[in-house]
Amino acid sequence: MQKGHQHPLTQMISEINSIFSEIGFVFAEGPEAETEHYNFDQLNFPPDHPARDMQDTFFFRQKDTSEPMVLRTHTSPVQARYMESHEPPIRVIVPGKVFRNEATDATHEAQFHQLEGLYVDKGVHMGHLKGTIEHFFSKFFGSETEIRFRPSFFPFVEPGVEIDMMLKGSDSKLANKWIEVMGAGMVHPNVLRDAGVDPEVYSGFAFGMGIDRLAVMKYGINDVRDLYTGDLRFINQF
Amino acid sequence: MLVVHDWLTDYIGDAIPSAEALEKLLTFHSFEIEGIETVAGHEVIDVDVLPNRSSDCLCHRGIAREIATLLDAPLQNDPLTKEITLAETDVIAVDIEDAKACPRFSASLMTGIKVKDSPQWLQDRLRALGQRPINNIVDATNYVMYAIGQPLHAYDADKFPQVDGKWQFSVRYAKEGEVVSLIAEGGKDEDRDITLKGTELLIVDASSNTPIGLAGVKGGRFAGVDASTTKIIIEAAHFDASLTRTTARGLGIVIDASKRFENECSRGLPMFAQQEVITLITSIAGGACQGVIDEYLEKKENPEVVVRPSAVNGLLGLSLSTPEMISLLERTGTMVTQTEDVLVCTGPWERTDLSIEVDFTEEIGRIHGLDAIESVMPATVPLTEMNARHYYSEQVREVLIDLGFSEVITSSFCKKDTVQLRNALASDKGCLRSSLTTGMHDVLDKNAGFTDLLGSTDTRVFEIGTVFDKNDNMVIEHVSLAFGLRTKVSGYTPKDDAHLLQVVTALEEKLGTKLDVTVDKAVAECNFTNVFESLPAPVAYAPVAVAQEIAYAPFSVHPAMTRDIAMWVTEGTEVIEVEKVLNGAAGDLRVRTTHVDEFSKDGRTSLAFRLVFQSMDTTLTDDEVNPIMDGVYKAATEQDWETR
Repeated sequence: MQKGHQHPLTQMISEINSIFSEIGFVFAEGPEAETEHYNFDQLNFPPDHPARDMQDTFFFRQKDTSEPMVLRTHTSPVQARYMESHEPPIRVIVPGKVFRNEATDATHEAQFHQLEGLYVDKGVHMGHLKGTIEHFFSKFFGSETEIRFRPSFFPFVEPGVEIDMMLKGSDSKLANKWIEVMGAGMVHPNVLRDAGVDPEVYSGFAFGMGIDRLAVMKYGINDVRDLYTGDLRFINQF
Repeated sequence: MLVVHDWLTDYIGDAIPSAEALEKLLTFHSFEIEGIETVAGHEVIDVDVLPNRSSDCLCHRGIAREIATLLDAPLQNDPLTKEITLAETDVIAVDIEDAKACPRFSASLMTGIKVKDSPQWLQDRLRALGQRPINNIVDATNYVMYAIGQPLHAYDADKFPQVDGKWQFSVRYAKEGEVVSLIAEGGKDEDRDITLKGTELLIVDASSNTPIGLAGVKGGRFAGVDASTTKIIIEAAHFDASLTRTTARGLGIVIDASKRFENECSRGLPMFAQQEVITLITSIAGGACQGVIDEYLEKKENPEVVVRPSAVNGLLGLSLSTPEMISLLERTGTMVTQTEDVLVCTGPWERTDLSIEVDFTEEIGRIHGLDAIESVMPATVPLTEMNARHYYSEQVREVLIDLGFSEVITSSFCKKDTVQLRNALASDKGCLRSSLTTGMHDVLDKNAGFTDLLGSTDTRVFEIGTVFDKNDNMVIEHVSLAFGLRTKVSGYTPKDDAHLLQVVTALEEKLGTKLDVTVDKAVAECNFTNVFESLPAPVAYAPVAVAQEIAYAPFSVHPAMTRDIAMWVTEGTEVIEVEKVLNGAAGDLRVRTTHVDEFSKDGRTSLAFRLVFQSMDTTLTDDEVNPIMDGVYKAATEQDWETR
């Protein structure tokens, strides 16, 4: 009997979990059908934030839900859910499926996978963010990795950064150039407070990246939609 | 935000760094740069201004101020620090219904102007921004918006009724069903009549109660400036960000003016904008200002924020001294007072984004440079929890992959099911799946014809994914496990079910529990959430092997063609040697060779191979494949293999 093939996304999620669980990050999860409260309010999105527009978010019918519900647009709601149900110190990763109401093409799908990370404790700072992400990419790509920050903005972090990575001393086609890989930052005090964590005592970092994009980088996949067609001409290459 | 490089010199002076140097400076301290282009003879930098800085940086003065902060050099010329020297007038009246919606409304009167084309330098700068010059008055109002970020509008005062000696503006909410006529949007010919809901804010000619513009969003054609105009009224107002956004998005109008109000440009700007535009119009259209009315009903001052240097360093992972922090903050124009061990900070008035301590922490970090932050690896701690869903999913994968099943992830959307979306991406994606079985049948049917191409004997797939349902008050979900197989290319046969039940047994043995599966045409599905929640909590994850390097190759979407060849060879001939000869003759269109049969008789061995042909670009025909196979037979014959 010939063996079957594992989907590249679940293979990568296993590797990601393996790397992060070794340093104490718990694999956490939350619902894909999420309340607007957790998807937006608890993450410091103002009530009229453009991200709440219909063109970005899939909404459920009002008559089906007693409070407004959406298909989660990111894995970040799990930050708030986990902090509400756990006391710091908190270290979690959240790999999972997310949804955006956007036109699809070779680099965009209406459903894709995200990896969220959260570390909340006394004295967590941006150096810890840098160290953790460098550790992850070095392990994931099997080669020494450097990262750098650029200023950015997300409602649920402050300061907010974009992170670029560079593989060093590898013969990979990704090596020796800066590649934009994720958004991150220090958890906004409003997000901590609303989830019952005292921002005067604790601080934390959070990051989020597309796992599909990681698959594009790692395997050179030319169309992310192939990840979701169930086509074995694609899957059997992995 | 498009930024004309030489426009910045108006504020920074000639010592401005090159566009390339600015790209680097802004990228690592402020904003991403989308690109640099030369348009209408000017270097234009496309700056991706972040949402929190869209209040002050959607204009040239704002970007210049940011650059000056980064260079630690003052602006040579700053329109926002000039003294306002405009006289008041009582010939214009303004009545505002809701000061929260419109905290400020200013209007100035200019007489003796001459409408003509703008001077070349001004036309060029507007063209560099992709704007079409219209006439010197309209161009001047646009120019000042791109210069300092305050939207403006000019009216022909002779076409605007003056009643009781006054031009009378009012700003009020629309009445339900009221109609306003708006100027055609770029690229469209006809003006647009819009019937209002009653939540929108209008600018109105109060003398006749006629709507003349949708506040903050779009002007009307009322009292438009044309070649005959000699007397103008210029409006510079402030409208609530949230109200502007709701109205603009609701009508699908997003223009440069509405974008600035949506992002809460400072309400301190209107009088500076009046002064700038009047100075500019005087120089390019002549005339003189007869005075201005400034109804400023609701002021908003930036708050005093306590910033603790220890907290700043604690969050950034830096060890900056307090004087260093003060210096960095003062470079942004922040007023800093040191009391004991804290800094009391007030952001510059034109910025509306600095209201809590971390806002200032971010300023300190990015202006100092985020590259100064050193990596620190958090101390490793033991894992406090294990994810049972992941752990048991990995066990399922191990069993199924060993049994020849490949894993798929299919769309969560479907055409018809219990849970419906309010806004679907497409008519066949209006619902969320309540089971994986339907999708699994589709995947099996689609892949069943690929067995020759993939070198497999049958088709086996599985999926672990979320499915959706609803109860009385919410959408609910659980994780489902489905697996199915097809042994025949033609589709399901009842024999497939028997194979499938063996797989169920293998899974049950591995997991140590009964699976409550439903079977439909050789697809089995069970509620996997129920399964893993009933199993013992895992104690350690299985080690994960580092994935091998895979060079993925795009696959052809065109159908494959299959040809079999059988031959007698001398006993002991290596299969691999035979394949090498066949493959060499078959050429580049051959994508797979499978050794399908072998038996020996009387010192000879019979070998059979299946060759699969496929093109990346086209559907192959017999006319293309037959000559290739002729060549393969010829190559075999030349080896003295007897083909049959």
